[in-house]
Amino acid sequence: MPDAPSLASSLNPATPTDAVARAELSEIDASAKWPVIVFLLSGLAWLLVGTVFALISSIKLHTPEFLGDYEWLTFGRARTAHLNSVVYGWSTNVAFAVAFWLMARLSRARLRHGGLLIVAACFWNLGVTIGVIGILAGDSTSIEWLEIPPYATPLLFVAYALVGVWAVITFRFRKSEHIYVSQWYLLAALFWFPWLYSVAQIMLIFEPARGTVQALVNWWFAHNVLGLWFTPIGLAAAYYFIPKVLGKPIHSYYLSVLGFWSLAIFYNWAGVHHLIGGPVPAWVISAGIAASLMMVIPVVVTAINHHLTMVGSFSALRYSPTLRFVVFGAMNYTLVSLIGSTMAIRGVNETTHFTHFTVAHAHQGMYAFFTMVMFGSVYYILPRLLLKEWPSATLIRTHFWATAIGITLYWVGLSIGGWIQGTEMNNGGIAFIDVVQHTIPYLFMRSVSGIVITIGHVAFAVNVVWMLCARRPAGATVPTLFHPGPVLSTPTIR
Amino acid sequence: MNRGPLIFLGIFFALAFSWTGVVLTNQIQYGSLTPFYDQGEGKTFPEQRSGLAERGRLVYQDLGCLYCHSQQVRRPGFGADTERGWGERQSVARDYVNDKRVYLGTMRTGPDLRNIGARQPSPDWHFLHLFDPQLTSPGSIMAPFGFLYEYRRIVGERSPKALKLPGDYAKRRSLDTPGYELVPTARAEALVAYLLSLKDTYEFPEAKPYVPKKSGGAK
Amino acid sequence: MKADPSDPSLLEPAGASDEQIQKVHAILLREKPEPTEGYSPLPLMLLGLMSALILFSAIYLGRFSGGFDPLVYDERILPGMLESGGAPVAQDPKIVGKRVFANCIACHQTTGLGLPGAYPPLAGSEWAQGPEDRIIRIVLNGLSGPIMVKSTSFNNSMPAFGPQLRDEQIADVLTYVRSEWGNNAPVVSPDKVKEIRAAVAARTSPWSTEELLKVP
Repeated sequence: MPDAPSLASSLNPATPTDAVARAELSEIDASAKWPVIVFLLSGLAWLLVGTVFALISSIKLHTPEFLGDYEWLTFGRARTAHLNSVVYGWSTNVAFAVAFWLMARLSRARLRHGGLLIVAACFWNLGVTIGVIGILAGDSTSIEWLEIPPYATPLLFVAYALVGVWAVITFRFRKSEHIYVSQWYLLAALFWFPWLYSVAQIMLIFEPARGTVQALVNWWFAHNVLGLWFTPIGLAAAYYFIPKVLGKPIHSYYLSVLGFWSLAIFYNWAGVHHLIGGPVPAWVISAGIAASLMMVIPVVVTAINHHLTMVGSFSALRYSPTLRFVVFGAMNYTLVSLIGSTMAIRGVNETTHFTHFTVAHAHQGMYAFFTMVMFGSVYYILPRLLLKEWPSATLIRTHFWATAIGITLYWVGLSIGGWIQGTEMNNGGIAFIDVVQHTIPYLFMRSVSGIVITIGHVAFAVNVVWMLCARRPAGATVPTLFHPGPVLSTPTIR
Repeated sequence: MNRGPLIFLGIFFALAFSWTGVVLTNQIQYGSLTPFYDQGEGKTFPEQRSGLAERGRLVYQDLGCLYCHSQQVRRPGFGADTERGWGERQSVARDYVNDKRVYLGTMRTGPDLRNIGARQPSPDWHFLHLFDPQLTSPGSIMAPFGFLYEYRRIVGERSPKALKLPGDYAKRRSLDTPGYELVPTARAEALVAYLLSLKDTYEFPEAKPYVPKKSGGAK
Repeated sequence: MKADPSDPSLLEPAGASDEQIQKVHAILLREKPEPTEGYSPLPLMLLGLMSALILFSAIYLGRFSGGFDPLVYDERILPGMLESGGAPVAQDPKIVGKRVFANCIACHQTTGLGLPGAYPPLAGSEWAQGPEDRIIRIVLNGLSGPIMVKSTSFNNSMPAFGPQLRDEQIADVLTYVRSEWGNNAPVVSPDKVKEIRAAVAARTSPWSTEELLKVP
């Protein structure tokens, strides 16, 4: 079956295969353009919405009368709207965008039936919108990470079904024989997520389990959204962009295999660590703790793999936005996971459970790791879709420093505050109101870091919109780097 | 690792492993736990909630109370839960069998509420606290829930449910207009009924605190 | 695509404009090739780390799993470690009593101080700490008319709780009252309540103070 006239096939057959491969990539990028852009822009919109809810919630914690008269903004609802906006709005949309682009590129197959994905995007975002409005209106299910009311979830199911169909087709028609490490993670994530979500919906909402079995299902689900959906996509992106930008191979295939399978086996038992000390059987808690400790293996393995790939090329971090965001993210992945394994130890958990330390940890994972890796991915992908360069290096620098400093201030400050809170809470001699009062300076610091992060988001949004609206420049293009890069005869670092 | 079907199988079994272990096994092991029948008192524990308290549970759910308050008491020696009077013993699964939705919670920005009904049995305290936490707990960071109350003209007699605000406070907040009263709405009453229903005072056999066997000799 | 480049039939119109090709080439040309994997061997120390972690986890799971019993919530417990051997133990009467006392707080209050002028206190009350035969009767059939408690006179009426409370409950609530708020009086046994209940089975009206004072 002859392909439609394409750039690749119209090239002079005598052209070296390298250029043919590159032309093929350009076609893949072109085929992926609209679905990926739709998901990216939706994600960006949700990032801004989620940031607003974040600021409102953060301020309410140290200044409770802030907007206190409005029932629809009460902390319990505003905080939940924030979580769902950034998890199912921003993170999932950008995860889809990056996953599809990576899948298409790594499968060396043009993204077919992109229309399916655009329809999926509409359903997904409609579902999340109705869900978040429902939460503000008071229909939250109060099941952590599953708060979207049941009337909105069918829309999410339709969207995901379309995505699933597309993924299977694309993988089936892949041209590459070798399945690269990123693809294992992407396939796994795309398969695991609907299983998690469906079980949670059935056993918590439609046919609720009795008593604390609900809590076990809840935390098996919620932790695995982090560990089996977002983490694999973040790692897939890191495994692609680090070697891609540097032009070096990943250090060890064997480390990749070990890292993947140990993550697959151990991560999904770890969720029970949210229930340490709780009214569930001691054995399942101990199993969750054991799994959380075993997670050290995939984390250390991945860290070694990434590090040894980067060794000798750290200077590239000066120039490449993609690399800097992704490496920042990957380093925080190692750090947040090791801290997490430590938090699972009963002796440590006695202090950190129920405190702001946990909140700091969650944000280090979802933001300092996942979101930063996604930012780096977008900086690479969007120019290739739009065939334009980022208009402003200043905005990229602002974005990086604001978000990096902001999130570091956030998790370090709140960890200290949370640790103090936990220690004091475990001292029966300290009145509870005093424990609360002592957390206020750290909560205030969190609001300040939130404002810094918001500046970064605004810089990012402005850059994206500017890039979209700018006219396509004629002639050769130069990548937008943090600083002008060294001039080399071979392709420059990007 | 180039065989798609093999990778898929591995991915499938990886999640099936924890789904079976964490979810399925526990559902089988204790998913049909029933209330405990006490011979001495002739009734089952935990007791059922009243209809009003059930409606209150939905208010607790829609306002998102669990994002600041946990509902689980840890065992003595692990944290200071029992020392703070948050419960007499560790919470166990049977305490929650009658709860249609379990709100264990993962944050203690505010105190644990599992036994708030036993610890603070005064409805008046709860109505004041929900209206403005500063009234009962100065320095608290809990949000005010003024929208659960209604400031209305007194018709006939003053309502027995009207909040008794301290004089200077009422003046400051302009809530001392003669002929007007501040009353809780039905949602507030339901919520307080729910809070007052939160008490796990029954000691199930499996909830006995751990007393180690003394080695060599009678107990 | 191995064909003779000079064959005119192969020279079809390009699928893209010159400008597009140039742009594409610029971005694509500077891109590094798609990522690949190197094949460096696994570091040996990783094997050591993994073995240590597996060993530790296995030991941890073995020790802190309560025999995989779903009713074990305290991780320190292993089967055979409980004093009671796991068999149900009788409830502490004071805990049951406190629960039953919920029936009494409307008048006597949780503090046991009652309501001055209306309901007598139980805290420090000579009646509560006095002969058990009298207070069992009060709980079974109620009390009506004047009564002197801690040098204060009360004149009200207490309903009967005999029909709705079992002997064990009455015994436990009285035991609770007699040991709470600084009170110090002997426990009341369910058998005693049973004995008194049988003795006054015919009575339907509340007691009066004069009648009670005749009971030893």
